[in-house]
Amino acid sequence: MTIFEEISEKLQKGKAKDVAALVADALREGQAPEAILNQGLVAGMNLVGEKFRNNEIYVPEVLVAARAMNAGLTALRPSLESAGVKPVGKAVICTVEGDMHDIGKNLVRMMIEGQGIECIDLGVSVPPARVVEAVKDSGAKLVCLSALLTTTMMGQKAVIDALKEAGLRDQVKVMVGGAPVTQAFADEIGADCYTLDAASAAKAARAFFPD
Amino acid sequence: MTNRERALNLLHYKPVDRLPAVHFGYWSELLQEWAAEGHIPKELADRWYDGGEADREIDKIIGWDFNWSRVFSGNTGLSPRFEHKVLETLPDGGQRVQNGDGIIQRIYPGVVSIPAEDDYLLKDREAFTTLFLPKMQYTPDRVNTSFFSSFNEQVYNKTDSPVGLHLGSVMGEIRNITSVVGMSYLMYDEDETLFADIVDAYAEMQYRCAEAVLETGARFDFAHYWEDICFNSGPLLSPELFDELCAKHYKRRNDLCRRYGIDLISLDCDGVTEQLLPTWFENGVNIMFPIEIGTWGDQFEPARKKFGPGMLGVGGMDKTAFRKDRAAVDRELERMRRLASLGGFIPCPDHRLMPGSRFDLVCYYAEEIKKITP
Repeated sequence: MTIFEEISEKLQKGKAKDVAALVADALREGQAPEAILNQGLVAGMNLVGEKFRNNEIYVPEVLVAARAMNAGLTALRPSLESAGVKPVGKAVICTVEGDMHDIGKNLVRMMIEGQGIECIDLGVSVPPARVVEAVKDSGAKLVCLSALLTTTMMGQKAVIDALKEAGLRDQVKVMVGGAPVTQAFADEIGADCYTLDAASAAKAARAFFPD
Repeated sequence: MTNRERALNLLHYKPVDRLPAVHFGYWSELLQEWAAEGHIPKELADRWYDGGEADREIDKIIGWDFNWSRVFSGNTGLSPRFEHKVLETLPDGGQRVQNGDGIIQRIYPGVVSIPAEDDYLLKDREAFTTLFLPKMQYTPDRVNTSFFSSFNEQVYNKTDSPVGLHLGSVMGEIRNITSVVGMSYLMYDEDETLFADIVDAYAEMQYRCAEAVLETGARFDFAHYWEDICFNSGPLLSPELFDELCAKHYKRRNDLCRRYGIDLISLDCDGVTEQLLPTWFENGVNIMFPIEIGTWGDQFEPARKKFGPGMLGVGGMDKTAFRKDRAAVDRELERMRRLASLGGFIPCPDHRLMPGSRFDLVCYYAEEIKKITP
């Protein structure tokens, strides 16, 4: 088993300390930081996403795997920066105004980060103006909007409208999700993408950033 | 027939004169809307809770027969609860607070949604042993035996509607005191028995509460759990782990109920419940509730097909119809007619009625459902 496979396997099992130690070992062995990221950490999270989509694993396994991914990234980040490795893209993510639910949003963020995409997480109950501001400041090309309530899902439309008003709509893709959200609703409000679960969201997000 | 006779007959496949008009309460914001529109007195909206006097007054105004969730129990939570305290006032006007379950949350004035969870106290064996285990012990003061000793005269015999014994929760309460994230981390803690020890300790206390209530001789028509451990894609943890941790506790509590003559045991779980149904059904839970078809697509018929006539249901009516129009309500009435014809099923809105639900449509549904004889 290669060290990349070991990293991937420990990540899938949620062994954060082991992942961090293996990343350090790989760096000592002289492995390229980008290879550790893509062939170890991202490869592991991809498998986690696939298993989650197939109902082979559940939310706890995703959360502990994401924690392990973060441990690995923390160990790897200085080397990535020294090597000039850039994220594949930037996304702004939040739960829309009036809605405090963050579990789904956090799962999506973790899975998207697992794809090598930098996420600017604005948190919960975020007004449209803050999303616009974050897109302007960061240059993010993807906006991910979560809503868990039928009473707050129209907040996703409010963000899309605000992006239009700010002249930014053509520069970003907008993904929407959350329990009451459907493809029909996404079409109705003019979103670019709707996915049913976090793993599908990550896959769709990656597709917005071609290599 | 009384409402109690109707409900019990329906759930035992016996004839009834008509369907009862059953509900599962309201979001408080809806009651305030209805009060502002002049449909109900504001004082009823202000003091409403499931099965309470205000609930029954609102039942009369709308035409409901009863709220399924009229249940009684001892104190099955942490006791004493943690002190609720404000930890920080945030620059954006919110507050960071520690709640009674030991969860650190952010709350904002005027935001109706549940608070965002930032952190939690139950992180390791030491926190469990020193902070939580003492609060999970059974003590006699958890059950008001004087109330339950006169329960039959004071409550059971005074109502013609079914009343339930609340059995607590095997996993949902654990989720409440750990948060979803904390629960997940604890399941995979290096201390491999920690999570099971937490579940076992809580379950033992809740069993003894149920036992103490039943020993008073109080009568109940059904027993009831609250779990809320599923979401739109299914359960929040693997069905195998859920079964390993929880099955024995359901069986023990449900066997206790059956020894006291309670053969109807309902379980309230939001979300798509399909994958957890085997654990519940095989260990004595026999009523799915509230079967959230509107928000999450949960369904009763597949469960009936899979588990047979022993699988009963209360719920399944898409409450979102009340925000639409009469045609949408009529479609639900027709669907409820079909489901009720399966037997062993009582139609009920599939969760609390939400803001924006039209008062006239709710009254219409309550009136029309009573015209159906399954």
